Amino acid sequence: MPDDPRQPDAIDAAIQRAFEPRRRLSRRAFITQAGRGGVILGGALSLPAILAACGIAPAGSRTPSGSTGGSPTPLPTKAGIVNFANWPAYIDIDSKTKTYPTLEKFKKETGIQVNYVEAVNDNEEFFGTVQPDLAAGNQTVWDLMVLTDWMIERMVRLGYLAPLDHAALPNFTANADALYVNPWYDKGNTFSAAWQSGITGIGYNPKLTKRPITTFDDLLDPAFRGRVGMFSEMRDTMCMALLSLGIKPENATVDDVKKAADKLKKARQAKQFRNFYGNDYYNELANGNLALTIAWSGDVSQMRLADNPDVQFVVPQSGGMRWVDNMCIPKAPKHPTDAHAMINFWYDPVNAKTLSEYIGYFSPVKGVPDLIRKDAAAAAAKGDKATAGALTTKAAAVTPSPEALKNVYTYKVLSEAEERQWNDLFQAVVTG
Amino acid sequence: MPRRFRWTVPYLFLVPGGLWLLAFFVVPMVVMASVSLQQGSLAQGYAMTFNFGIYAETIARWSSQFLRSIEYAVIVTVLTVLIGYPMAYTIAFRGGRAKNILLLLVILPFFTSFIIRTLSWKLLLADNGIVLGTLKEWGLLDSGFRLIATPIAVISGLTYNFLPFMVLPLYVALEKVDPRLIEAANDLYASRVQGFLRVTLPLSLPGLFAGSLLTFIPAVGDFVNAQILGSPDTTMIGNVIERLFLSNNDYPQAAALGFILMAAILAMVLVYARLIGSDKLTTG
Repeated sequence: MPDDPRQPDAIDAAIQRAFEPRRRLSRRAFITQAGRGGVILGGALSLPAILAACGIAPAGSRTPSGSTGGSPTPLPTKAGIVNFANWPAYIDIDSKTKTYPTLEKFKKETGIQVNYVEAVNDNEEFFGTVQPDLAAGNQTVWDLMVLTDWMIERMVRLGYLAPLDHAALPNFTANADALYVNPWYDKGNTFSAAWQSGITGIGYNPKLTKRPITTFDDLLDPAFRGRVGMFSEMRDTMCMALLSLGIKPENATVDDVKKAADKLKKARQAKQFRNFYGNDYYNELANGNLALTIAWSGDVSQMRLADNPDVQFVVPQSGGMRWVDNMCIPKAPKHPTDAHAMINFWYDPVNAKTLSEYIGYFSPVKGVPDLIRKDAAAAAAKGDKATAGALTTKAAAVTPSPEALKNVYTYKVLSEAEERQWNDLFQAVVTG
Repeated sequence: MPRRFRWTVPYLFLVPGGLWLLAFFVVPMVVMASVSLQQGSLAQGYAMTFNFGIYAETIARWSSQFLRSIEYAVIVTVLTVLIGYPMAYTIAFRGGRAKNILLLLVILPFFTSFIIRTLSWKLLLADNGIVLGTLKEWGLLDSGFRLIATPIAVISGLTYNFLPFMVLPLYVALEKVDPRLIEAANDLYASRVQGFLRVTLPLSLPGLFAGSLLTFIPAVGDFVNAQILGSPDTTMIGNVIERLFLSNNDYPQAAALGFILMAAILAMVLVYARLIGSDKLTTG
C-alpha cells in the first residue's frame, strides 16, 4: 500500500479494513454458494474470508506525522509520574539503600515520581514487546525509553515515536554537545535526545585469558573454546565480524555479510561460543563464566569499579562500533509532560555529571568533564587521593578521545529487505 | 425449569468454558493461522497470500531444532517418571500422617516464579560458583569443566521444573488404588513384583498418561530453560519461535512453526494414547 495517506484516523481505516473481507462475495455468488453447499459457512463466513480479513496493516507511513512539520501537540499538564524503560547498569545507584539518587533529586525538584525499570536487555527484544501496541495505535506502558541509534531510525521510519517539544527542553538546547545534535538517525533531534554513547569492543579478564586481547579474531581462538560471549543483537555481532574481514559496515553488501556469517557459524559449530547474550553478558563476564566477550565500553568501566577490577576493555585492532543510546517518547504517551521534564533534567550539567561519575560512558552534555575535575580537586583537597584519582580518570573518559574515534564505525542504515537478509543469516549463526 | 428443557442443562454448564475457549483459544488460533499464510514486512504491512509453501520451508529449515526439542522432551518425561513414580508411590502408600506435608513440599516450588528458580540454578552451578568452584579448588574437577551451557543443564532444568506435574497426577491415581487388591494378588501367590506389575501399575496408568502429557507437551515448547541454562547448541524450537517473533519480526514463519509444533504434539499424543490403550485410561 505505497500511497496510503497516513492521517491520524488511519487507525480507524485500518480497523475498518480488517473487518471487511477482502474477497467480498456478491449477493448472487453468496446465494449460489450457500445453495450449493447448503451451509451458511460456505459463503461470507468461509475460512479463507476470515483468514484474509486478519491482514496486518502497515506499521506506519514513510513520512510520519510530525516529522516534517515538527509541530508537536501542546503538552498537557504534568501527571506526576513517568514510566522510564532503560538498560541495566545504566544509571547511578546507591548500593546500600538500593535507590537512585538522581531520580530522588528529580522527584524533589519536580514532584514527579519515576517508575524506573531496567526493561531493555536487547533492542530487538524490547521492540518486539512494544511493537504490537504501537502498530495498533495503543498506548504502551512507557513514557520514556532509551534505545540505540539504528532502532531510533527504524521507529521514526515506522511512525512509532512522538515528536519532542523542544520548547520544553531548554537544557538540551543550551547544553547538548555538538557531536549529539542533529544526528544521522534523527535529523534535527525531532524525536530523540542522546542518553549516553559508547563503543562496542571486547571485554576480557586477563586472569582467565592469560594473555592480552587485541583483535576480534582472538574471540575465535580455540584456546578459549566455550568461554567466549557474543551479542544476540545482530548488528553489533555482525558488524564486528565484518570489520574483522576488513569491511566497513556502512559499505557492507549481502555477500560480505554472508562471509561474516560463515566465519561466525564455523566458530559456533566448533562450540567456540558459550552463548549469545543481551545485556546479561555483564554478570557472566563479571563472575568469570566468560573469559572474553563482545562488550560495551561503559559496562566494563563500571564492572571494574563495582564487580570485578580485573576486567579490561579494548577496541579491537580490526575496529569497534560507536553507538548512541537515546531517550525517546513512544507515540501516544500517557505522561508526555513528565517525560519531557525528565529529558530536560538529564541535560542539566550537574545531573549529567552525577550520572557520568557513576556509569562511565560518553556523556552528550557539555561541561561534564570540567565538573568531574572540579569534584576531583575537591576530593584531593580533602585528602581523598583514591577518589580524586578515579575521578580524574573518569573525567578523561567521558568524552571520546580523537584516537578512540579513529577506529570506530557506525551502523549501516538497512532497508527492510536488507535487514531481513541480515537477520536470516544471523539467525542461522545463533541457532544450532 | 420445565422438564422438557432439562436436557439443556449439561450444555448450559459448558457455555462459560466454551465461550472462554472461543475467545482465548479459537480466535487467537484463527488469527495465527491467518498470519502464517501472509507475506509482507513490518513497514509494508502483511497481506494474505495463502502462502502454504511456508510450512514446507519452515520444517526444512528448523528440523534439527525440532528433533532436538522432541529428544529433550522425551528424555525429560522418562526422567520425571523414573524420579516421580517412586515419590508418588511412597507418598500414596507410605505417607501416613505426613501425606499432606509431603504433597505440600511437592508443590512448594510453585510459590516462587520458575524463572527465579532457574536463574538461581545458573548462579549455583556457575563455572566458578559455589558448587563447581569448590570442587575445582579441591582438584576433583578439571578447571575447564562446566555444567551451565550444556545439554545436561537444560535437561536437568526441564526435569526439575516439570517434576511436580508428573508427581501430582501419579499420586492421585495411586491414591485411588485399593490396597486390598494388592493383598488379594499376594494371597493368590503373586510376588511383590508381580503384584506391582499386574495390579498397581495398570491401575496407575491414567495418572502416568496425564503426567507424561503435562510434562512432555510444555517441555517440547519450553524456551526458558534452554535460554537461561543452555548454549547455541541447545536451541529448542521454543527459542526459535521466540526469536522469530520478538527479534526478527518474522510473524508468518513464527506462526507456522507454532502450528507445526502443535500438529506434531497432537500426532505424538495420539500414538502414545494408542500404545497405552485408551480403554485403560477411561476405565482406570
